Amino acid sequence: MSTPMNPSPPAHEDPAPPASSASGPDQPDHPGPAPAGEGTFWHGRSGLIMPVVIAGFSLYILFGVATMDVGDADFPGPQFFPSILGVLGLVLAGIIAAGILRKPEHPENSSGKSWRFHSDFNALGWTVGGFLAFAVLLPWLGWILAGGLLFWCVARGFGSRRALFDILVGLFMSSVAYLGFSVALGLNLPSGILGGGF
Amino acid sequence: MDSLPLLMEGFAGALTPANLLWVVVGCLLGTAVGVMPGLGSSMAVALLLPMTFALDPTAAFILFAGVYFGGLFGDSTMAILMNTPGQASAIASTFEGHRMALDGRAPQALATAAIGAFIGGIIASTIVVFFAPTLAELSRYFGPAEYFALAVFAFIATSSVVSESVPKGLASLMLGLGLSTVGIDAVTGTQRFTLGAPQLFEGISLITVTVAILALGEVFHVASRARRDHPDLKTRSAGRPWLKWAEFKEAAPAWGRGTVIGLPFGVIPVGGSEVPTFMAYDVERRLDRRRRLPQFGKGAIRGLAAPEAAGNSTTGMAMGALLALGLPVSATAAIMLAAFRQYGLQPGPLLFDRNPELVWALLASFFIAMVVLLIINLPFAQLWSKLLLIPQPYLYAGIALFCGLGVFATSGRVFDLLLLLGIGLVGFGMRRYGYPLAPLMIGMVLGPLAETSIRDALLSSDGNYAALIDSPITWFIYGLLALVLAFTVRAAVRKKSRQDI
Repeated sequence: MSTPMNPSPPAHEDPAPPASSASGPDQPDHPGPAPAGEGTFWHGRSGLIMPVVIAGFSLYILFGVATMDVGDADFPGPQFFPSILGVLGLVLAGIIAAGILRKPEHPENSSGKSWRFHSDFNALGWTVGGFLAFAVLLPWLGWILAGGLLFWCVARGFGSRRALFDILVGLFMSSVAYLGFSVALGLNLPSGILGGGF
Repeated sequence: MDSLPLLMEGFAGALTPANLLWVVVGCLLGTAVGVMPGLGSSMAVALLLPMTFALDPTAAFILFAGVYFGGLFGDSTMAILMNTPGQASAIASTFEGHRMALDGRAPQALATAAIGAFIGGIIASTIVVFFAPTLAELSRYFGPAEYFALAVFAFIATSSVVSESVPKGLASLMLGLGLSTVGIDAVTGTQRFTLGAPQLFEGISLITVTVAILALGEVFHVASRARRDHPDLKTRSAGRPWLKWAEFKEAAPAWGRGTVIGLPFGVIPVGGSEVPTFMAYDVERRLDRRRRLPQFGKGAIRGLAAPEAAGNSTTGMAMGALLALGLPVSATAAIMLAAFRQYGLQPGPLLFDRNPELVWALLASFFIAMVVLLIINLPFAQLWSKLLLIPQPYLYAGIALFCGLGVFATSGRVFDLLLLLGIGLVGFGMRRYGYPLAPLMIGMVLGPLAETSIRDALLSSDGNYAALIDSPITWFIYGLLALVLAFTVRAAVRKKSRQDI
C-alpha cells in the first residue's frame, strides 16, 4: 500500500492541547490533536448535517409542489406522491436530529490516534476537487488530459506522493480508455485542445 | 412443465462463443472486484451499468450475472483469507472462515466456501427455472393496487430490517423516491422539480445516481480514512483448496440447511443476502451447542458452509424474483432492473412472452457461471490474492476515472458529471453517518412504479383508498410485511434486553 509516511493531519498548526485540560474522556491514551469542538455542544453532533440535507431536499420538493403548474389534473395528480414524500422527509429529519441532540454519535476510530476531524479533509479535498476540475475542464482539456488530471488528484488524495509518475500512469490510463471507448466503441469523448482547437 | 425444452434452447443461446466469452469475462471481473478489499459486487455492477450502451441485451445481462455471482465468490475468498468482507453478505463468513484460515486450514475453508456457494447457486437456479414462469403467470393477476403493495413491501422491508436505525433507513428511502420524481411527470406531462432546467426534463438518470451512490461515494469515503486506518493486508498463505471426505460429509448438511434458509429471501425484499447469511450462521451455532464437542469459535466448517450456501441461494432466487416480478430485493438487483430499463425491457410476465430467448439464455448462463466460477476459484484462490498488490491510490483513482467515463459515456453532458459529484457527496455523507444505501437505490428504481400504480388505483376508484387493500393478493402481501416487521421488532427487543443483562 502507500508508503508509511507519518500521516500528520493538515490542521496541525493549532497545537495539541495538553492532556490535562479537558482531555477526551473516551480516548485518553490516543496521541494527536484533540477533536475539533471537543467539550462544546458540537462534539459528536456533526451528523446534524444529514438531517439538514434531508430537510432541505424535502423543502425543495414541497416548494416545487406548491409552485407546480398543474393544469386540471384529476385527484391524485402530479403533486400527490411528492407531497407525501416532502412531509415524510421533514418528519424523519426531525426524528433523526432529535436523536443526535439526545445522544451524540462518535464514529469508531481504529487508527490508534486522535484527529481533529474524523474525516481527512485534505484527502477529501483532493479527490472531490479533482473530480470537480475534471468535470468542468473536460470540454476544454479533452478526455485524455482531464482524465489524467483526475487520476493524479485522486491518487494524491489517497497518499501517493510520486507526482510525475502518477501523472504518467494517469495519462496512460485515460489514453487507454480513450482508445478503447472512443476509437474502438465509437463513443464521443471530447478531444479538447489535443484535437487542435475547441 | 415445459421449462426444460425452453432451458435447453437457452443453453443453446448462451453457449455461443460470444456469450460464453461474456460469462467468463463477467466471472473474472466479478471475482477480481470481490477480491479487492472493501469492493463488492454492487460496485462492480454499478460501474458496468453505463456499458450497456455498447452491448446487446443478452450479452449485457450474462455479463452482469457473472459479475454478480463472481463478486460473491471473490468476496468470501478475501473474507476468509484476510477478514475483509467487501459487502455485508460476506460478514457471516468471516467468523468461522477466517478462524479456519488462522488455524492453517485456509485451503479447506476456501473449498468449503466455493463448494457451498456453488451448491446454493445451482439449487436456487434450478428452482428459478421451474418457479419463475409460474410466478410470472401469477403476476398477470396483479393490478395497480397489487404492484403498489409489492413496492411498499420492498420499501418498508429494506429500510427497516437491515438498517440499524429505522429513521435513517426511511430517510435514505425518501431521498431515493424524491430523486425519482424529478423530471416530467409521465401521466400528466407536468414539469416537476426541474427549476426549468432542460437537463432535468427527462429526470435524473438512474445510471448517474447508481454510480454516484455506490461507486463515487465509496471512493470519497475510503479517501476520507485512507491515510489513517491501515488495515492489516497480510494474506494468510493458502495452498490448493481441497476437502477430505470426512470434512465434506461434515459440511454437507450445513450446505443444505444454508441453501434452504437462503431461498425464501430471494423473494422477500429485506435488502439482499445479509439477513439469510446471519440466520444460517446462527442456526448452525445453535445446532453446534447441542453437539458433544462444540466446534464454534475454533474454526467450525459448518459455520462457514451454511452462510456461503445461503448467500448464493438468495442471490439466485433474487434473480428469479427480478425476472418474474420486476421486484429487486437488493441494491445490486435494483441496478440490474435499471439495466433492463436501459434497454426498454420491463421484467415481469411480458418479458417471458416477448423476449423468451433473452430470459432463458440468461437463466442458462447462471448454471454456466456457477461452473466457471467453481473452476476459476477453487484452484486459483491464491492467485487472486495477488490482486492486492495493486496500490490503493491507483485502484481508487482508476475507479474515479471509470465513474466519470461511464456517466459521460451515457449522457455526454458536463451537467451529469456535476450531478454525479453532488449525489456522490451525499453518498459519502450517508456512509460517514451510517445511513444504509440499499433503500435509496430501491426507492429510486421502484419509485416510478409505486407512484404510477397508486395513482392508477386511486384514479380508477375515484379516490377511494379502500381500493388499495381490497384483493386477496394485497392482503397476503401486507400480511407478510406485518409478519416480517413483527419478527424484526421481536429481534430488536430481544437484542436490547440481552444487552441490559
